[in-house]
Amino acid sequence: MSEHTFQPRIIAFCCNWCSYAGADLAGVSRLQMPADFHIIRVMCSARVAPEWVIKALLNGIDGVMVLGCHIGDCHYISGNHRAAKRFVLLKEMLSFVGVNPDRLLVDWVSASEGRKFQKLVTEFIERVRELGACGQRHVEIQTPHR
Amino acid sequence: MTEFALQDQIRARAKELLASEQVQCVIGYEHGSRGQIRPVFIHQSTDTDRLVWDQGCTHNLVTYLRDKKGAFGSGEHPQRVAIIVKPCDSRALNVLLAEKQIEREHLYVIGVVCAGIVEGAGYAGQSSDKLQARCLRCNDRVPVIYDLLVGEPTQAETEDDYIDLAELEAMSPAERAAFWLKQYERCILCYACRQVCPGCYCSICMFERDDSLWVGIAAGTKEKEAFHLGRAYHLAARCIGCNECERVCPMELPLSLLNRKLAKEVQALFHYRAGDEPSQSPLATMLAEGEEFPA
Amino acid sequence: MKFLSREALQTWLDRLANEATLIAPRLVDGILLYRSVSSARDIVLDYTRPKMSAKEVVLPSSEPILLVEKRGQDVNLSEPPTGEQVVFGLRPCDAHGIAVLDAVFVAQEPVDLNYARRRNATTLVGLSCPQMWEDCFCTSMGGMPNDPSHVDVLLTEVENGYAVTTVTDKGRTLVAELSLQEMEYEPPESVLNEAELVLTQEHWPDRFADQYWDLLAERCLECRMCAYLCPVCRCFDVRDQVVQQGISYSKYDRLRCWDSCTGANYRMVAGGHNPRATKGQRLRNRFFCKFHYFPVEYGLSGCVGCGRCIEACPVNIDIVEVLRDMSRASNAPQTSKVSPNAETGITA
Repeated sequence: MSEHTFQPRIIAFCCNWCSYAGADLAGVSRLQMPADFHIIRVMCSARVAPEWVIKALLNGIDGVMVLGCHIGDCHYISGNHRAAKRFVLLKEMLSFVGVNPDRLLVDWVSASEGRKFQKLVTEFIERVRELGACGQRHVEIQTPHR
Repeated sequence: MTEFALQDQIRARAKELLASEQVQCVIGYEHGSRGQIRPVFIHQSTDTDRLVWDQGCTHNLVTYLRDKKGAFGSGEHPQRVAIIVKPCDSRALNVLLAEKQIEREHLYVIGVVCAGIVEGAGYAGQSSDKLQARCLRCNDRVPVIYDLLVGEPTQAETEDDYIDLAELEAMSPAERAAFWLKQYERCILCYACRQVCPGCYCSICMFERDDSLWVGIAAGTKEKEAFHLGRAYHLAARCIGCNECERVCPMELPLSLLNRKLAKEVQALFHYRAGDEPSQSPLATMLAEGEEFPA
Repeated sequence: MKFLSREALQTWLDRLANEATLIAPRLVDGILLYRSVSSARDIVLDYTRPKMSAKEVVLPSSEPILLVEKRGQDVNLSEPPTGEQVVFGLRPCDAHGIAVLDAVFVAQEPVDLNYARRRNATTLVGLSCPQMWEDCFCTSMGGMPNDPSHVDVLLTEVENGYAVTTVTDKGRTLVAELSLQEMEYEPPESVLNEAELVLTQEHWPDRFADQYWDLLAERCLECRMCAYLCPVCRCFDVRDQVVQQGISYSKYDRLRCWDSCTGANYRMVAGGHNPRATKGQRLRNRFFCKFHYFPVEYGLSGCVGCGRCIEACPVNIDIVEVLRDMSRASNAPQTSKVSPNAETGITA
């Protein structure tokens, strides 16, 4: 049985003040992590619109992470609360339309938590690898002119 | 009270309001062509006999209160309007009030006690006695906001157990994905669902922006899925379940399933229902005083 | 007049489905649409009219009209492929719609090459309506339920089969291999509705300034249903879209997609000015396009009387009611404000 190494495509939205700094710290501390993820820095986890997550997961991205400041520590006071509410609802909707909600991870990483960042990313990539490719959902539908 | 009695009350008050210039326009229902009911905008007190009320009055008139819909044809916005609302419609009013999209002083709300709207309402053809699905599961008989209440208040004994979602919830994820992809195939992106909805009032819909092409202009499954999922998500905790989106869809897409799934989760997770109060904090965008959220 | 038995029809349709793309009325999750079929069994033969017109066959709701590939410095432009297609079960109103589109896209210079490519590869087999239905008014728009004018072959249902009329050379070629028997009798005439009041194109300019249009548009939702369901509405948008972008290889599609003049920003120009800023102006344009601009430009009515917009409009904007109101208004003295008024019988 040949080993097929499926390289998942992951996007991680990291908030500027906490989780992005945490990611930086993980890098500077030379903590080992898989490299198959792309970080997109946003000012706050509340900036991450659920539509981005929908677009990503339905267009070939296999997993999305949204990482913000810890609850109570948001640089903008309540941004992460709103993010928390929004993504809880989004996961329900994704599940309802047949997308595994485990492909979306929402968590909180502070600027000093390089290790936590490493752990989250490593575990998430492994989880998505198990889940497999999100797949091309949009097959060619038969229309009269085809 | 019979429907005719309610109708007479509506007409009488509309006449008073227009004649005394308390309002410049009454938004209600009238008999259209081919035996169907349609929305009407009455501007003169001599025209109020055109107003009707019966179980064919399906439209959610709150959708006309937003400027972008250009309700007032010539582009001028009158100072005050009267509007006829059913219980479901009245919750849409509260959503718009909570989101500061309309001002309470600009409205005279004629709330009607509703016994349900029949299937086939708003279209020509055989009128049925059977109530619409949304009415069969509706708990509300009395509008939640009004200046005039028309009809005797009654209680409802129905309970919404979201049984319509059960079939989909029991499917495997792959089956659910296949189900929804099949639905989008019929969609023609006419946007009637969005246009009829009082909650969709963005002056340019993000799914139609052609400057950024966030979603392309093609009518492909990718674009349709983005539109329907995005719209349902934007209505989370704001949709009041009038079901007009599903009624107007020419391809009979089961749009209510998406909106109701989110409404069910909002109720279960946050104990929140859209439109119960005009001061209710919008769920997904605001953090209410002392609000907790699930871990 | 020739006769084709029901069984022979099924055999013929199965063969057509194998040889070309056969498009016929078929149920898609309960909605009747003109769609490609793989077997005659899928075809619905007993129906009023499909929910959508057959416009999609020659003018799809979205299509790539140019494919661009860039490899390094080499740019390759190609046209998307088109296959032979036969439309079966086409109602005469829908065929009339395609004829109207032909007048716009191919009958005069410059010819729309994408439309022409598709149209030339299409053969139309019509099916007469035994009667006019609830919202139909084709006879008031220059059509008939059994009109052979705009198809290549017309079938009319008779006992045990169909009467076959070949109209064009293309049609004759299509039925050449069928063994058709002579018919001894004429097929029955279709049952007609009463004619509707129509205002002819030269009287429309007098109605341009009427307040009627603003009042009518008050309830319009500005969706696009009427335009998209219509066999004749043909406005479109063109955009280039990136399919793939890379350093050594890129792919772009030029897409053409349906659009509608009822949309709020349809007429908006760069700089933000919108000549049709109000709903009334937009709705007025819809009716003027059909009954004045189009007849003046092409000599044909921009409406075929299929009745789909009447059936579908969620707020009862009824094109027949508008025509009636316009006819009556043109007999009234011209005023700049025509308000809902019991005497003139005009209601918006």
